[in-house]
Amino acid sequence: MSLLQATFQWLTDPSHWQGIDGIPTRIGEQVHLSIESVAIGAVIALPVGIVLGHYGRFGTLAINISNVGRAVPSFGILVIAFQVFGLGDLPIVIALTALAVPPMVTNTYVALREVDPDVKDAARGMGYREFAQVLRVELPLAVPLIMAGVRTSAVQVVATATLAALIAGGGLGRYIVDGLARSDYPRTLAGALLVAALALSTEFLLAGLQRVLVPRGIRLLNAPASRRAGTFKTA
Amino acid sequence: MPSRLFLDLVDPWINWAWLSTHIPYVWAAVEQHLTLTVIALAGGLAIALPLGIAARRWTNLHLRPAALAVFGGFYTIPSIALFALLIPYTGLGTLTAEIPLVGYNVLILVRNVLVGLDAVPPDVIDAANGMGYRPWARLLRIELPLALPAIFAGLRVATVSTIGIVTITAVIGLGGLGQLILRGLIESFHTPLVVATVLCIVLALVADLLIAGVQRLAVPWARPA
Amino acid sequence: MNRIRGSYLLVAALATLAVVAAACGSTSTPGTASKGTVTVAGFNFPESSILANLYGEALAHDGYTVNYKLNLGTRTVVAPALSSGQIDIYPGYAASELEYYNHGAGEATSDPVATTAKLNTYLATINAVALTPSAAFDGNAYAVTKATATKYNLTKLSDLTPIAGQLVFGAGPECPTYKFCLPGLMSVYGLHFKQTLTLDTDGPATRAAFKNGSIQVGLVFSSDADLNALGLVVLQDDMHMIAADNVVPVVRTAIATDEVKTVLNKIDAGLTTADLVTMNGQVELLHQDADAVAMAYLQQHNYFS
Repeated sequence: MSLLQATFQWLTDPSHWQGIDGIPTRIGEQVHLSIESVAIGAVIALPVGIVLGHYGRFGTLAINISNVGRAVPSFGILVIAFQVFGLGDLPIVIALTALAVPPMVTNTYVALREVDPDVKDAARGMGYREFAQVLRVELPLAVPLIMAGVRTSAVQVVATATLAALIAGGGLGRYIVDGLARSDYPRTLAGALLVAALALSTEFLLAGLQRVLVPRGIRLLNAPASRRAGTFKTA
Repeated sequence: MPSRLFLDLVDPWINWAWLSTHIPYVWAAVEQHLTLTVIALAGGLAIALPLGIAARRWTNLHLRPAALAVFGGFYTIPSIALFALLIPYTGLGTLTAEIPLVGYNVLILVRNVLVGLDAVPPDVIDAANGMGYRPWARLLRIELPLALPAIFAGLRVATVSTIGIVTITAVIGLGGLGQLILRGLIESFHTPLVVATVLCIVLALVADLLIAGVQRLAVPWARPA
Repeated sequence: MNRIRGSYLLVAALATLAVVAAACGSTSTPGTASKGTVTVAGFNFPESSILANLYGEALAHDGYTVNYKLNLGTRTVVAPALSSGQIDIYPGYAASELEYYNHGAGEATSDPVATTAKLNTYLATINAVALTPSAAFDGNAYAVTKATATKYNLTKLSDLTPIAGQLVFGAGPECPTYKFCLPGLMSVYGLHFKQTLTLDTDGPATRAAFKNGSIQVGLVFSSDADLNALGLVVLQDDMHMIAADNVVPVVRTAIATDEVKTVLNKIDAGLTTADLVTMNGQVELLHQDADAVAMAYLQQHNYFS
């Protein structure tokens, strides 16, 4: 029996779809870790990006934060955090958050920067206070690019959450690591395919969400795709 | 009973005495790290450049959607899984490490080659046609040079990304600095772990600056971001 | 126009460089006046690196050119590398090797010689051979914290039987399917734990789990140097479930000349479990390098005189 057939059988075996080591549980763990990390990352990154972008200062700083952030090896951060905090979700959430922040900072900064100065002038002329101007004029216009940053972060976080299994965590990486340890290649391959499928679904789901969230009038002004910080892999 | 459960509580983040006697060990890891990175980038370029050019030249072959779909799908598979899956076929060592790394870089680079070629203004192409350039000559001598800024941008992303992923090849006995991270994990020993993580960041930043510098020399009309 | 031409050359140069670099991916060191080149591999834990260095340094002293592939991973990675000829030697453990190559048939016993003989029937099919097993033993051991031992008055594994349902057990990913691990604990000792956590095989995660109390019983190895310092007690295997994991080199037949066998057998003949504990301590606790620890051992025991 070929490895692919064996993998297909593994995936369709009902016993692999239930229990604490079942596929739904593992997908749930992977998604849970990812949502937590992207949410924490957003809470950190969006305000920083918004402030830097709104005032238009420290632009090089924002870009450099992003470059340094991309250079941080997730594996290293994961192991360091494990040394400090020990077992549990915290080390992987820290490593994934570090991964999620840079694209969101960059994209948010660029998004706010790109708001037409005439629009800002008009808002001020209409008597908007600074805070209201950011909230009600600049942010809606910046949503497409910000969402693109969130999407980039989310996709790479979902894929990288696989590393949790290296430090006894859960998620789909469990199948990959356990399959290797038990010479059970179908399990490993199934894990790899499930991660890939989950990452692709995340991409499509968030693309759909972005379409819903972006005000209709702004969709036409959508920034060219090349401006979006491309997906970026660290694991 | 106050048993002292953990020795690593007294392990400093950097043990300078250990580090000072292990410079050659760390340097060997850096060398392996750079070798793996350079091969991955060179391999990625060797595939992505011809592929991007061919996709642009023969649009009727639908190479563009095919390449983006194949390598895009490949890109979503985590490296640790690919390394594991390749072992039965390609064994241990450089080839198993490089197949995923090169594959990831092909996606990043081919996308940028295409973005760069797409961005060549139609006026320029008209002018080249008017000057009597044949399609191939126009592509290689006019369009490709104009696409260089985008290609360089892709190369920088690929470089920084590769330097990070190379650490994961420690799971198949390579890893460069990843080997030090693994040792830190296995022995609960902070020094190699911290040193390797910091060096990874430094390598990535230096490589990024270096490529930006080369770009400035090669393509002075377009400033690196 | 010149500028454009310059860039065109640059692209060509980059492409050439790319092809050249891709072609010379691997480097090889040709041995000069060497008896041949052998590649010694090891699993991903310090003791394996020490043993690999012991073998490698002894062979190098004998005139072989030695390459190392250390921290390769688990048996799943190392064994295929041996059968495909990418590595020549690795330090194995008789029972674990047997159970790997027989796909967990449960043929290992507590007798190292019989276990190795059985192992060799399987290794013959992949053109490899296990040499004479050492007295040095590093098998599965099941540990509890001193506090747990005191609380329940535990000294041997069968003491766990009545209380296992209150305890959480932690081990590596292979344990649930490995006969001498969880299945053995269940069938031989009747241990049915409240929960089993997948951690790592005697690694940092197991230690962290003991530390934060998420497990009370865990898989460790008998030659670990840090058990006492960690406040862990190994429970005695009173029903002899644990198989003969004596150190034994596994060698490709093509490499296993009489000379190589003599060199490796001499090391294994002198090695004891206490030596393993000492050397593991030097690496795991004092963070000395495995190659230096192995070299010091060989010098102290006059292998080079």
